[in-house]
Amino acid sequence: MAKVQVLGRRRHLDAVLERLYGTQRVELVDARADPELGLAPADGAAGHVERQAELEALAARLDAALELSGTPAEAHPQLVPDPVPGSVDVAALVATLDAAAPRLAELATRLDALADERALLPRYADPLEQLAPLIPELAGLDDDELRQIGLDTLALVLDTTGETLLTTLREELQALLGSRFELVWTRVGQDAIGCLLIFPHREIEHVHRLLGHEYVRHLPLPSAYEGLSLHGAIAAMRRRIEALPGEIEATHRELASAVGPHERDWRTALGGVRAEVEQLAAACGAGVTEHTFALVAWVPRPQLGRLRVELADPALGPVVVEELEFERRDARVPVLMHNARPARPFAFLTRFLDTPRASSVDPTGLMAIFLPLMFGVMVGDIVYGAVLLGASLYLRRRFSGRSPVVADLASVLVIGSVWAIAFGFVFGEALGNLGKDVFGDFSLWVYRGGADALEPLLLFALAIGAAHVLLGVLLGLWQARCDRDRHGLMDRGGTLLFLCGMFAIAAYAGGMLPDGSMTPAVAAMVVGLAVAMAAHGTLGIMMGPLELLGAVGNVLSYLRLAAVGLASVYLAIVANELATVGPLWLGIIVAAFFHTLNLALAAFSPLIQSLRLHYVEFFSKFFVGGGRDFRPFGARPHDAPQTP
Amino acid sequence: MQLGLIALGSGLAVGLAALATGLAQARIGAAAMGVIAEKPEMTGRAILLVAIPETLVILGFAVAAMNILLLGKG
Repeated sequence: MAKVQVLGRRRHLDAVLERLYGTQRVELVDARADPELGLAPADGAAGHVERQAELEALAARLDAALELSGTPAEAHPQLVPDPVPGSVDVAALVATLDAAAPRLAELATRLDALADERALLPRYADPLEQLAPLIPELAGLDDDELRQIGLDTLALVLDTTGETLLTTLREELQALLGSRFELVWTRVGQDAIGCLLIFPHREIEHVHRLLGHEYVRHLPLPSAYEGLSLHGAIAAMRRRIEALPGEIEATHRELASAVGPHERDWRTALGGVRAEVEQLAAACGAGVTEHTFALVAWVPRPQLGRLRVELADPALGPVVVEELEFERRDARVPVLMHNARPARPFAFLTRFLDTPRASSVDPTGLMAIFLPLMFGVMVGDIVYGAVLLGASLYLRRRFSGRSPVVADLASVLVIGSVWAIAFGFVFGEALGNLGKDVFGDFSLWVYRGGADALEPLLLFALAIGAAHVLLGVLLGLWQARCDRDRHGLMDRGGTLLFLCGMFAIAAYAGGMLPDGSMTPAVAAMVVGLAVAMAAHGTLGIMMGPLELLGAVGNVLSYLRLAAVGLASVYLAIVANELATVGPLWLGIIVAAFFHTLNLALAAFSPLIQSLRLHYVEFFSKFFVGGGRDFRPFGARPHDAPQTP
Repeated sequence: MQLGLIALGSGLAVGLAALATGLAQARIGAAAMGVIAEKPEMTGRAILLVAIPETLVILGFAVAAMNILLLGKG
């Protein structure tokens, strides 16, 4: 990434911004925020700010109106906004919005009311439905009939699970009305009690006053149901609850048809408005003198030449693109992950952990080499690999362009499956031991299901681990050297020495090194320990050995390559053994079930384990996260950063 | 008899380590789910944290393998 200063004549500022917006090649930063540059804000900034605020309000109105149509922006064909500032006829746009606003507001209000009603009505109907059977004689009488016999009713909800409040209420009512009332109740939901109170109509004011003192929630019926009998009100509510979804759907359709005639124009205008807002904001961030302007931007270094060519246009006047110095370790430096085409599907796995800082090594390329290899070592079966290859090729084709993450994951699995087939030949496995039973032992190295396979497999896993962790430490060493980080340099250097010494001792113990190699190996371990301890200062006595133990643990952690692989092959063998018990048809079903289960595990578990080995054991040696994605000026917020 | 004890010891080494890993992962996993619900962008780190205790069971596997390889041959 390069940091550049774009200088030009002040009167060409808008034209230059328009060009930069169209090329989507740079990320602009606020030039005035950099005290070293000492740039003054543009004079016209106040005007720009007002226009920006006006357009932002307009964009919010357009957004709200378009949201009512119910169709997401992605459902529409790409509408390319005109990036020329001022191209949107704001007055005409506001006029069409104002004309449509009353109808849209009315429909939106109706929709809200219907949604509220749908949420609230069951809260009335449910308790009443439970209370009605408790007073069968009165439930069929409406308000007028109740008053004719001098009675009144109140529905109440007590927000309590215990019955203490109910007892208190009954005592208070007894004190007020004597025996001239009836209180029936039932539990409503998990944390409330619904009550129905029947009392003399003439006492209604006293009862209301009492309930007010006792903080009881009175459940007044919606006006449409007042005056009906309890049964009548419940039936009317149920009918309404059934009718509401249809009414809501009809209102949605009305809204869609009200927005429909304007939708295309509004979406196009929204794009234009947003483009102008971004360009105004960029103009506000430019520094100016009496005759010149200065923009500060990030640009991917390989694109610097093309940027210079694009700005060397007579229509833009003389424009100078000058490279600025910057601190690589600064977290504000944007990151554009650029990898070779085969490694690109792995970039999302790196981002899954964190975006690397600009100063950090991007491990995506190495991940593209090691992750499928580890996946293949664990699966290591020709048939499983072939099935996974077919499935992942199908997924990649199906989701290409529709879901980039699934397509990338499928691409990762494609490479992993090829490795699984390759290691299937190395281990002589096809559906576990079935291949060996049918074709004889065709393994190129060692059959994994054999009794003598454990030792070589463990050593192989440890060898991969040692190579991977050492590579990580070397990258960490290089990273520390680039960052001029003395502490990191000593820490990684000490770890490297210690691990090399330890591996040399292991090799000596295995008879792979001559007699004289023991002394230098021990010396390397001791020096490595001392350097690692010195790197941590006063806490080094404790932290140094812990760090080195952690590094040894990291190498041992790769034993999972053998462990998961052995679990997979033994499950396959069990599936084949079970198939021989009982009749043939049952054996085929049982074997198919277990092999499918094993295949599902083989697709999932080795990928997770490989990822973990990368994230925890490998990345921890050098990776610096917390990076910020490069967002080109002119790209939509949901656009993925462009890869050149 | 000796072979049986070796097998039992190896099983215990893996089994107890797996139990400890499971206990640790249960707690970390519950917390990780909470974090992911609040901040989906932390999914990668959450998986990393959940995966860390797995080293315990791998070390258990290493001990079991040493049991079988070193004592089993004796």
